[in-house]
Amino acid sequence: MAHESTALLSAADLNKSYGGVRAVREVSLDVGPGEVVGLIGPNGAGKTTLVDLLSGTQSADSGRITLRGRVISGAPSRRARAGLARTFQYPQLAPDLTVWENILLGRLHRRMGSAWGIMRTAVRSLLRPVHRDDADEVDRICAALHISEPQRLWSDLTLGEQRLIEVARALAQEPDVLLLDEPFAGSDAEGEAGIRRAVATVSGRGHGVVLVDHNVDIVASLVERVVLMDQGAVAFEGPPDECLRSPEMRQVYFGTATAQAQQQDAADSARPEASATDRVQEEGDR
Amino acid sequence: MSPQLFLSIIEVGCFFSLLALSFLLVLDGAAVFNFAIGPYAMAAGLATSWLVTRLGYPVLAAALAGLAIAVVLAAVTDVAVIRPIEARLGGAELPALVAVAATLFLIEQAAGTIFGRGDFPGQPLLGFEPIALGSAAMSAPQVTLLVATVAVFALVAWWLRASRTGRMLRAVGDNKHAAQLLGLPVSRIRGIAFILSGLIAGLAGLLFAHKSGVSFTSGLQWTLWGFLALVIGGTGSVWAPLIGGMLLAAVQILSPYYFGSAAADYAILLVALLFFALRPSGLITRKVRT
Amino acid sequence: MRKLLNRYDLSPVLTLAAGLALLAWVGDNPFNQDLFALAATYSLLALGMYIPFVLAGSLSMAYTAYLAFGGYAVALVATRTDWPMVAGYFIGAAASAVLAVVLGFATRRLSSFFLVAVTLLFAIAFEGWLTSTPEFSGGAAGIGGVPRMELFGVEMTRELFIPVLLVLVWGIGVLVDRLRKGVFGMVLRASRDVPVAVEASGVAVPTLRLVALGTGAAVASLGGSVFVTFNQAINPETFILHVVFLALFMPLLGGQSTAWGAILGALIVVQFTFNLGSVGDSGTLLFTIAVLVVLLIAPRGILGYLGILWRRLVPLESEKERTHGA
Repeated sequence: MAHESTALLSAADLNKSYGGVRAVREVSLDVGPGEVVGLIGPNGAGKTTLVDLLSGTQSADSGRITLRGRVISGAPSRRARAGLARTFQYPQLAPDLTVWENILLGRLHRRMGSAWGIMRTAVRSLLRPVHRDDADEVDRICAALHISEPQRLWSDLTLGEQRLIEVARALAQEPDVLLLDEPFAGSDAEGEAGIRRAVATVSGRGHGVVLVDHNVDIVASLVERVVLMDQGAVAFEGPPDECLRSPEMRQVYFGTATAQAQQQDAADSARPEASATDRVQEEGDR
Repeated sequence: MSPQLFLSIIEVGCFFSLLALSFLLVLDGAAVFNFAIGPYAMAAGLATSWLVTRLGYPVLAAALAGLAIAVVLAAVTDVAVIRPIEARLGGAELPALVAVAATLFLIEQAAGTIFGRGDFPGQPLLGFEPIALGSAAMSAPQVTLLVATVAVFALVAWWLRASRTGRMLRAVGDNKHAAQLLGLPVSRIRGIAFILSGLIAGLAGLLFAHKSGVSFTSGLQWTLWGFLALVIGGTGSVWAPLIGGMLLAAVQILSPYYFGSAAADYAILLVALLFFALRPSGLITRKVRT
Repeated sequence: MRKLLNRYDLSPVLTLAAGLALLAWVGDNPFNQDLFALAATYSLLALGMYIPFVLAGSLSMAYTAYLAFGGYAVALVATRTDWPMVAGYFIGAAASAVLAVVLGFATRRLSSFFLVAVTLLFAIAFEGWLTSTPEFSGGAAGIGGVPRMELFGVEMTRELFIPVLLVLVWGIGVLVDRLRKGVFGMVLRASRDVPVAVEASGVAVPTLRLVALGTGAAVASLGGSVFVTFNQAINPETFILHVVFLALFMPLLGGQSTAWGAILGALIVVQFTFNLGSVGDSGTLLFTIAVLVVLLIAPRGILGYLGILWRRLVPLESEKERTHGA
């Protein structure tokens, strides 16, 4: 609670159940100005669900989320306008739009934040092309993240490039807090470097980042603090090196694997968009 | 409320319920609202009447032919329209909806071209004396429709519960991908759902045609009634369409009785708006399964 | 030359040229004039369908009601009030937009099947209402004897109104195509394919869809208005329910990648359903089969494939070909 005055984003006691499975239970999370927080845990631990609850993609059963001290709730678009940006585990890029236009989407909430704004934009777009400031900002972001050939279409991109475009779109929102859901999965070295630059940009501006990944090594190299989730709850919270040595870490990743896998399986099958087989597969690989 | 009015509700309600059940089977088996169901019913009713009045077929033979047409149409819709669209565009909803709408319109226009664009009277399947019930009487077609409805619902309920295919039906519609991984015969189950749905819709159409007559444009209205009955009843149980159908029939029959002739359409629109806005999951919802 | 072809969008010039050619074909043949006016009505209907359906992925089927709104508004203003007839155009468009937003709002959280159902039910109920209110709408007989419209002090005879129609339809075609290419159209297309991403970017997708539905309804109602202005009469059977299916098919057949595809589709519908005397009643059937074939095996539509052909002839210089369909 002491955090609440200083934290940018503060979530308290979030809960979410699907049927009988508690995907997120009593989770609290604070992100301070300029802070990069790592959210780690095995597949099915509830990381993506937590990001969904924060961003409004799913609504929490109970709990409270504040951004800069103000309670945020409702549709994802409202929370985005309040200052929250996110990427998706499965990149969501418009196939009909070029890379440049996809990034531009991130700029539009300031002009299309209300029904009135949407109508004004519709009329304005009949007469003039993209707003100059928006175009310049998208060009700047492309240059900063080394995104080449922005006129390409989504179908020409690798998974890593798609993730980078999503991060660029989120960056274009100029968020107070940026939620990145597994941004490194499928990335090559260049994409990874771009995402690292984006994270540095956001935290350098004094804004917060939540970085979700199950690759503990990448997370540890980027963050000051990690939150370890297991079976929907926070198992450990602290500096990355302490976390890696902690008994909780060992318990979560190498503990009673069979019982755990079953529970995760149940949690996954209850979650609408999760592909259970992928997850069980990855779990087996570990 | 006069007993005759009550019988009317039962009669129309049976029709709505059968259409809604037809919707429900495809929804469970293929996760699609098949808006072409009304036209299947229309095609069966129209073909039967046309064969009897124009070609002099015996009623039962004509009815069998009508049912066969409905079943073939349903199977063709699945195999030739919905499956190819889903294969090309994944599970996206709008393309499937558009394809189904095009199918609806195509069946309507084809029926108009083949059978003519006039109104046809329905053909009574069985001829017997009306059964007196106090001051009211149930005509032979009414009795046939009622008995058929009860039988169809009982058979479908039994099939869903007792047969292997029936039990797998809902699993397939819920998550096709998972069902495939589990090794369920997804394609076969889905095909059976469509065929059954065509059969039920066809039966509904040819048994109801005596009430209002049938023309090539009847199908669209019937689709909407069936859809609405399904939405009112919910998808939670095989019996939900029966409840939805009867409630919708009560609205349909009673509103003109109390508020004048044009009121049925307004009342149905109002019911739709209310249900869609407030309770889109229907009256009977499935328990959350984990 | 190639640079010139790629730098500028030539579609307004090409379509205007095609329109003028059509005008020459119409000449002073009354039957051709009727066909042209119908084609203009259907074009506006198809353009109105294009915005929510093709761009935003929202399918409303109350379009016959929007046409009727536009038509009856003009007829009522002309026969019952002293206002200029043009007021009817605006009243019809506004009423249609409001209706589209209300119906869309009621189903905003549901799958698109629900919007289809409720809009169809509305269209049916509205047709019934028109028939049962003789004192207001003239009942089944409708409203006849609508006077000719005056535009800038000139009485719009059939001959004079034809070029006005051309300019109106062409102008709205240009606007809708600009809408598609502009920021608004871009966001609509994104919301159709990846609504979660648009939502997460801070633009409310339900609101976006409602704006698209309202705009489309307003454009379509203009179709009803011009039809009544030209034919000077309207009744409940003027726009029967099956027209909405034709409207749904027009952009699909013509090609979804540009708004001109909707207009091309409208012209084809008129040709199939009214002008081909020999095929008679089966014209609509043939057309429907064509649409289903397009849906199943040629999803880009006519203009989509023409566009590919065009890119073969005049390739873009640096970038990869942008052949992606809508």
